[in-house]
Amino acid sequence: MAAVNFKVNGTAHSVDADPSTPLLWVLRDHLGLTGTKYGCGVAQCGACTVHLNGEAVRSCQLPLDGLAGAEVVTIEGLAARGGETLQRLWAELNVPQCGYCQAGMLMAASGLLKKTPKPSDADIDAAMTNICRCGTYGRIRAAIKRAAGIAA
Amino acid sequence: MNTDRRAFMVTAGVLAGGMALAVRPANAAGAPAPWGPDGPIGNELTPWIEIAADSTVTIRVPQPESGNGTMTQIAMNVAEELHCAWSDIRVVNASVQRDYVEKNVYTHGMLPFFSGHATDRKRMDFTMRLGAAARERLKLAAAARWGVPAAQITAKDSVLSHAASGRALRFGEVAAEAAKVGMLAEPELKPEAEWTLIGKKAPPKLFLPAVANGSAVFGIDVKLPGMVHAALLQVPVMGGRLKSHQPEAVLKMPGVRAVVVIDPAKSRRTALKDQTSFGLSNVTEAQHAVAVIADHYWQAKMALEALPVEWDMGEGGKVSSHEAIYNAMRTVRDAGAGKAVVTKGDVAAAKGKRTFEAEYSTPYADNAVMEPLNGTARVTADGCELWCPTQDSRQAYWVAIDETGLPPEKVTVHNTLVGGNFGRRTQAEDLRMVVAIARQFPGVPVKTIWTREEMFRQGRYRTPISTRFKAVLDDATGLPEAVSGDLCFAGDRPLFQLTQGYGDAPYFNTGAIPNVRLTTIAHPVHVLNGAYRAPCLNSNAFITETFIDECAHLAGSDPLEYRLKLLASWEKPWSDTLRLVAEKSGWGVKLPKGEGLGIAITNWPVATMRNFGSTMAIAARVSVSKAGELKVSRIDVAFDCGRIANEDAVRNQIEGGILFGLNMTLNEEMTIKDGAMVEGNYDEYPMLRMGDALPDVHIHLGALSGHNRFDLIGELPACPIGPAVGNAIYSATGKRLRTTPFRKQDLSWT
Repeated sequence: MAAVNFKVNGTAHSVDADPSTPLLWVLRDHLGLTGTKYGCGVAQCGACTVHLNGEAVRSCQLPLDGLAGAEVVTIEGLAARGGETLQRLWAELNVPQCGYCQAGMLMAASGLLKKTPKPSDADIDAAMTNICRCGTYGRIRAAIKRAAGIAA
Repeated sequence: MNTDRRAFMVTAGVLAGGMALAVRPANAAGAPAPWGPDGPIGNELTPWIEIAADSTVTIRVPQPESGNGTMTQIAMNVAEELHCAWSDIRVVNASVQRDYVEKNVYTHGMLPFFSGHATDRKRMDFTMRLGAAARERLKLAAAARWGVPAAQITAKDSVLSHAASGRALRFGEVAAEAAKVGMLAEPELKPEAEWTLIGKKAPPKLFLPAVANGSAVFGIDVKLPGMVHAALLQVPVMGGRLKSHQPEAVLKMPGVRAVVVIDPAKSRRTALKDQTSFGLSNVTEAQHAVAVIADHYWQAKMALEALPVEWDMGEGGKVSSHEAIYNAMRTVRDAGAGKAVVTKGDVAAAKGKRTFEAEYSTPYADNAVMEPLNGTARVTADGCELWCPTQDSRQAYWVAIDETGLPPEKVTVHNTLVGGNFGRRTQAEDLRMVVAIARQFPGVPVKTIWTREEMFRQGRYRTPISTRFKAVLDDATGLPEAVSGDLCFAGDRPLFQLTQGYGDAPYFNTGAIPNVRLTTIAHPVHVLNGAYRAPCLNSNAFITETFIDECAHLAGSDPLEYRLKLLASWEKPWSDTLRLVAEKSGWGVKLPKGEGLGIAITNWPVATMRNFGSTMAIAARVSVSKAGELKVSRIDVAFDCGRIANEDAVRNQIEGGILFGLNMTLNEEMTIKDGAMVEGNYDEYPMLRMGDALPDVHIHLGALSGHNRFDLIGELPACPIGPAVGNAIYSATGKRLRTTPFRKQDLSWT
């Protein structure tokens, strides 16, 4: 094993762990960034969504040995990178219920708005593939539209 | 009262209350409490309320937060009387250990440590009185400082004011003195007309900013010095045993510390009488299992996957499939040995010419909570600390006591946020597993996390139900002259065999149907049942409301009018909710084939008590293509829970509950092969997502009765949605769906 160097929320890290360790568990266990959640481990639920080099991705599918030089943004770094409005609306509109999936939802939503500042419903459907068992989808859509300045 | 501290006389404005409040002068010295960080740290006015010098109001809530807003609602109850600024409030979990040591200081109202019921009548009244008691003590403390009568002092937004002299203080400035105030009698609650929060404002849940910025701590996020991680594999067939394993094959893998075996027979057990809501019966038992403990979770998981393990699958392994279970249930159901739960008149005496008989059923389903089961425990010879997401802290506490055999004073539970419950974390058998693993690796915190596959395959599943209904329709009215029902539950746990929506349906109990005989029986199965949102009502509502719909169609009646006739003698909210959703959904308009409206109604938790629980009617609008593609386009909801304390919180629960029930109806089924559960992850157990053309949900408040109760709303919405959609599909296509999930059935038509 050799250490892998990459950045998380602008901070450089060097992690020496099994090369198969998914970014999800690197963040949670090695770097102490527990905002990114484990939900399924098979890229289904999206609770582990982070931004990798600007793209919203499922971190449970990214092994450590592919991360050299990567720029990762997690929920903990989102406010400083343009996510503040979404985060504020998430609370104001009482979007989350249990809240467990919502870090992934916010990372997916902010990824969407970066690429598509005025998303259509179809854009939202295509980008927001994460699972919420509490059933907060309607409010997530409303918050994304509010953040984008689109009438709900 | 403490006589060695300065006590203030009660002012004229404070009336005798007579309530046994847990208010007492605080231990302001702040002696370290055994419950550590959960203990008092400042000016504690009661074990529930502490006010810091900066006026931060800490409210300790016994019920864990799992997304229903229970902790925020308790804060609303307190703040309504305390008159603190909403922004000064922080809520934390009360210590269940402290409740034990200090003899029930947090035990008030129904299910005191269960997530929910924040508006339970007794609890609401009690928590409001706590707020009033704290407020009056603050006033008395300010009055003493200023030398003015307390009656001249007002409290608003965390500020105490004396208008005549223009003086003002923040709560925090006199909190230390207020904590020492004794009162001869507790204050009465203010008149409802003066309420400014309850029913007036709808604050979002207090923990949401932390969720949105990633700092919220769920059970899985607990971080402790020296903590190690465990990956868990339970016997694939419930009730089976470990035959052999080879720990030496993995002990040298990186980071691996230990391989442990969990044998339920080795629980130490407590000799004490427990104080749990659900008891320490077999529902709290762990299954046989192995676990690998390592420095990091990924290391533990990889080593567990490499661990050679052989299981004895036991008797359960002989159960070939879920179909075999369902067939056995039919046989048991139809053998005539069921216990009568409703008997009225004589079903054999009915003379009507039109008769109807059909079988209805629901399958195994998993709660599929988003946060996998987990917990962190540190066990030593002298104590146990447990950090956990749980739906019932007292259940968690006593299961930890039972597993370790330690005295209750030595066991501490630290609550975290909970990433979804829906019943899954009620019995704490998961936390028994966490403690059972940790006590084999004593002295350091051990965090155990279920994989998603373990979650799905080691559930405590919704109780499957199979019911045969027979109806004889009255020749003149078309209403049922007689109804017979025989119901079979799968499983051997009476705790999860409820007749809600069946035995308590008003149709069968009000005399509207003169002859009724309903029975229940159980078919024991090795697959374990648990609580799943609105236990058994989630099946029975589908079954009963589909059956009644069929009777209406057989009678040639409109399903809405038919229900209204059957419910004419029952309490008004049932008719009001039905009429309201009919009006809002455009009921009665002729629709082209392939489009349909369906209706259904039910109640949680007891339909046959007047002014009790919540009643909800749903009208569903669907379209079904000729090829059988279903789209649920619009849902209209009307309900009566009496009154509403926080409208947005209620809407939130209804919106979510409807999607939960829709997913249950359209998608969910756990299947079985050779005794083991088949589905292992979300790719095999589909969940509705945003791209699934979800219905527009319209929630109507117009059927609220205003009866003086703020009743349960979390369980109910998952139940009437399924039959409403099924009845709409019949209306659209003529196809009657008598079982779920709908996705496995052919809805095509010509």
